[in-house]
Amino acid sequence: MTIDWEAFLHVFIAAIIGASIVVTFYALGLRLLVRGGRPPLVAPVEFTDAITVLTDKQRRRAEKAAAKAAARNPLSEGQKRFALVGAYACFAVCAAAVLGALLLILFNH
Amino acid sequence: MESAALVIVLVIGLALFFDFTNGFHDTANAMATPIATGALKPKVAVLLAACLNLVGAFLSTEVAKTISGGMIREDQLSPDIFPPIIFAGLIGAITWNMLTWLLGLPSSSSHALFGGLIGATLVGVGVSAIDTGVVLSKVILPALIAPLTAGIIAFTVTKIAYGVTRRYDTKADGRDGFRWGQIFTSSLVALAHGTNDAQKTMGVITLALITVGWQSASDPDPHIWVVFACAITIALGTYMGGWRIIRTLGKGLTDVKPAQGFSAETSTAATILASSALGFALSTTQVASGSVIGSGLGRRGSTVRWNTVGRIMIGWVLTLPAAGAVGAAAALIVVWLGGWGVAVDAVIAVAIILGLFLRSRRDSVTSANAMSEVADSGAAVKVPRKPGPTRRQRRLERSGKDDA
Repeated sequence: MTIDWEAFLHVFIAAIIGASIVVTFYALGLRLLVRGGRPPLVAPVEFTDAITVLTDKQRRRAEKAAAKAAARNPLSEGQKRFALVGAYACFAVCAAAVLGALLLILFNH
Repeated sequence: MESAALVIVLVIGLALFFDFTNGFHDTANAMATPIATGALKPKVAVLLAACLNLVGAFLSTEVAKTISGGMIREDQLSPDIFPPIIFAGLIGAITWNMLTWLLGLPSSSSHALFGGLIGATLVGVGVSAIDTGVVLSKVILPALIAPLTAGIIAFTVTKIAYGVTRRYDTKADGRDGFRWGQIFTSSLVALAHGTNDAQKTMGVITLALITVGWQSASDPDPHIWVVFACAITIALGTYMGGWRIIRTLGKGLTDVKPAQGFSAETSTAATILASSALGFALSTTQVASGSVIGSGLGRRGSTVRWNTVGRIMIGWVLTLPAAGAVGAAAALIVVWLGGWGVAVDAVIAVAIILGLFLRSRRDSVTSANAMSEVADSGAAVKVPRKPGPTRRQRRLERSGKDDA
């Protein structure tokens, strides 16, 4: 009876690396979106029982605050554009990581 | 030979029914968090989960091979005895599954299946028919290790998610954007579920086909029609969906915020996908629970309700022996009564399933009323509005005092 302990280690390492890449780059992407002057404002889908329902009024206020923050943003247009490109690049890295992992599973047996 | 064929048909039917209940039981694992954080409407979430389960079932068949080609020693079995034993094992698994579903306990469908199969084989054939090494290294140990692994990963990535988006001024931090992300991560979880759970039924059907000699034992890959049948059944089951469990997992454990839900789901998907690739048949339910708890602990100042955790743990620990006991009892009837035993088992199974179904109709939970209870249980969770200062804030405070 042999137990392949190494396999467990492989699973752990693969999973933590994969998860870290996805989460880090997604969070970084969001951060850069904010820096680029486009903070993501996502109202929860219309759903009466949802836990954090934003009313229209609350959403308008949040949008106003976001616009104000963007106006106070001391970055130049070029810097903002750079941040936005960075944000999309980060999201692309996330997508590539997921697709790569799936392809690896699909063709690796 | 005709009776063997009849039993095989029964086994396939019951295995597919198990597949259906598995999808039914496990929708919540993938979709509880996005529903709880309001990222997806319940109906949309369930439909998405169903489609992705279908795709996932085609991705990898490693887990099916673990069951059909390793766990049970085919050379120890005779084609007359074993199919009824598999049948008995499936009855054990399904009965336990329906019972925990009714009680709203996130038990593990997979462990119910393994418990039932092992229990029935032990009684019907003997200890020699089970490959303890494979059972230990591919079923029992992953069962213990995977939730812990997922918890640690979820804890780490939750810290990362909050750390990267933390702002010390009052400007928008962009964390709202994790709501979008959750749509993708929960989809990944549904996909991962297909790569692990649909495989288990394929494995059982293939095992049955091998024992009666309809498939060669040297080639434990499931036939393509088996793959199709299982994939479609699990997708259907997922769509019919388990609202009951959403109550427990989504909000009962810990108050889920988008950033945290995103992290939990990424960790669940990564753990399950990596395990599926290596053929570990783990419990997706337990991995999802481990992730939710881990990510809860990763949030500053949040408290997990250990009562609920304890209740879930009890469900886990009970699953293998309980399903094993039911499977063993069903196998005992087969051993005593032979062909009549199979008939008796089938009647008992139908009676239990019908009874549980009728019982569940009495207080039916649907998409309309399940979520308000989720919101209620959310109120019972203690998450401080203002968690304590971060390490950096504490450091700044201290150095500020030194200056003064």
